[in-house]
Amino acid sequence: MNGLTGEGAMVRVNGLSLWYGGGEHRVQALDRISFTIPRGGTCAVIGPSGSGKSTLLYVFSGLLEEYSGEVLVDGEKVPRGRRKTALILQDHGLLPWKKVWDNAALGLAIRRVPPAIKRERIASILKEMGLWEMRNRYPSQLSGGQRQRIGIARALALEPDLLLMDEPFSSLDALTRETMQQLLLNIWLKDRITIVLVTHSIEEAIFLGQRIIVLSERPGRVVEVVDNPRAGRMDYRKTGEFYRMATRVRELLEH
Amino acid sequence: MTRHIGIINNKITKTLLSVLALLLFWQALSALLQLPALPGPVPSFKAFFLEMTGSLGFHFYVSAYRVLISLAISLVLAVPLGMVLGREEKIDQFVAPMIYLLYPIPKVVFLPVLLALLGLKDLPKVALITLVVFFQILVTTRDAAKNINRDLINSVVSLGAGRRDIYRHVVWPAAVPEVLTSLRIASGTAIAVLFISETVASQEGLGYYLLDAWSRMSYENMFAGIIAMGILGFVIYIILDIMEKRACPWK
Ligand SMILES: Nc1ncnc2c1ncn2[C@@H]1O[C@H](COP(=O)(O)OP(=O)(O)O)[C@@H](O)[C@H]1O
Ligand SMILES: [Mg+2]
Repeated sequence: MNGLTGEGAMVRVNGLSLWYGGGEHRVQALDRISFTIPRGGTCAVIGPSGSGKSTLLYVFSGLLEEYSGEVLVDGEKVPRGRRKTALILQDHGLLPWKKVWDNAALGLAIRRVPPAIKRERIASILKEMGLWEMRNRYPSQLSGGQRQRIGIARALALEPDLLLMDEPFSSLDALTRETMQQLLLNIWLKDRITIVLVTHSIEEAIFLGQRIIVLSERPGRVVEVVDNPRAGRMDYRKTGEFYRMATRVRELLEH
Repeated sequence: MTRHIGIINNKITKTLLSVLALLLFWQALSALLQLPALPGPVPSFKAFFLEMTGSLGFHFYVSAYRVLISLAISLVLAVPLGMVLGREEKIDQFVAPMIYLLYPIPKVVFLPVLLALLGLKDLPKVALITLVVFFQILVTTRDAAKNINRDLINSVVSLGAGRRDIYRHVVWPAAVPEVLTSLRIASGTAIAVLFISETVASQEGLGYYLLDAWSRMSYENMFAGIIAMGILGFVIYIILDIMEKRACPWK
């Protein structure tokens, strides 16, 4: 069961197809998707807008339950509200009316975690994320990067073994984005959480995704699963391998 | 801190100045027209302070009581129902057509019906005001609950939230500012409806007092009643304005 032994897949997708709506409004979003994500690994999902990237995360997190095919998370058919799956959606899903502290603690509050444990865990995560000084502010009073950190803090407070992120850094400026990518990498190196990251940035997919799933236009089909074992190394960006990989993924996306 | 006080002072000064301008205009008009039916502000306010310790005070109390009870009942009924309609599509599909049918009808036309059904005391007045305010708050709350960003709900669901958590952590706080704004705006209408209901087959309240003063041609008292009505509306408006700012510190 230990994350480091890597036995078995954390996520196993087999022939997943999904339609939205009914009758004449029926739209196919995913078409016979199959791939696996190793336990403790990172995976980037990349594809054009509308290719079903967000839909895929909805399925993994149990928010969408009507599909055909098989999806197993940690060897089981995805149960809604699996306690060890954390999802971060595009706008970080922060509640504007809750202070930083309460936003970060929301998951624990909903799961009725005893207050003492909650207090301790949130305090240590906020300090780790550099949010401690801002704990009594509202999200609207913070920068984009800080809001992103609250979203990550709230997810990590659940002590997940699977972290799903939907274009987490797309709204950030270039510098903040690199800082946040580094931060995510540090979290992954420390805890070896399985991370699934949806992105439309080729550079980000290659820097962070040990496995890169390239999706086609709607309905999303797997164009190719690219293994990228050197992802997650700090100096990867500067290597020739990085550029070769980028060229390859770009070609796959353009084809 | 001093800057903060400066802003408040500024606001108070501006309010006082506009009140003064209004009073001067009133004074000029009454001096110009020289009509017994339009006394100036000085005798009117004299009558107001005199009467407030007497019968006007009682009628003021009755009116304030009626309008505040009505606002409270409307809130208690409309907010939960509006939240449910905004979130539960199946119920909404059934109820929405009824709302669209009833919403545009001017509720004042039900006054005779209410008088016939509920007698001549507080009940028909409270029912009429509640009817008016209820629909405004219902529609506002429903729209606020409907317009909540889908991903916001999804995020909270992914944290393990059930239906009750969603109402508590998302729907309710999202609706509160909208509810208070619509209540503040509806309070003006509420006072108008109160006045109308108190002028028909009534023995108590500011509406009755005003009409009674008019029928006795006691114009100073009539204006004392108008001042009382104005103060009632103003105070309610200000209280709701303060509540709105305190309830939504994140804005
Ligand atoms: N609730 C919905 N109802 C109908 N169609 C939807 C819904 N959500 C998404 N879609 C459609 O499904 C496709 C995939 O959407 P999405 O997963 O959001 O794509 P991506 O995240 O890759 O941009 C899109 O074409 C989108 O228009
Ligand atoms: Mg998307």
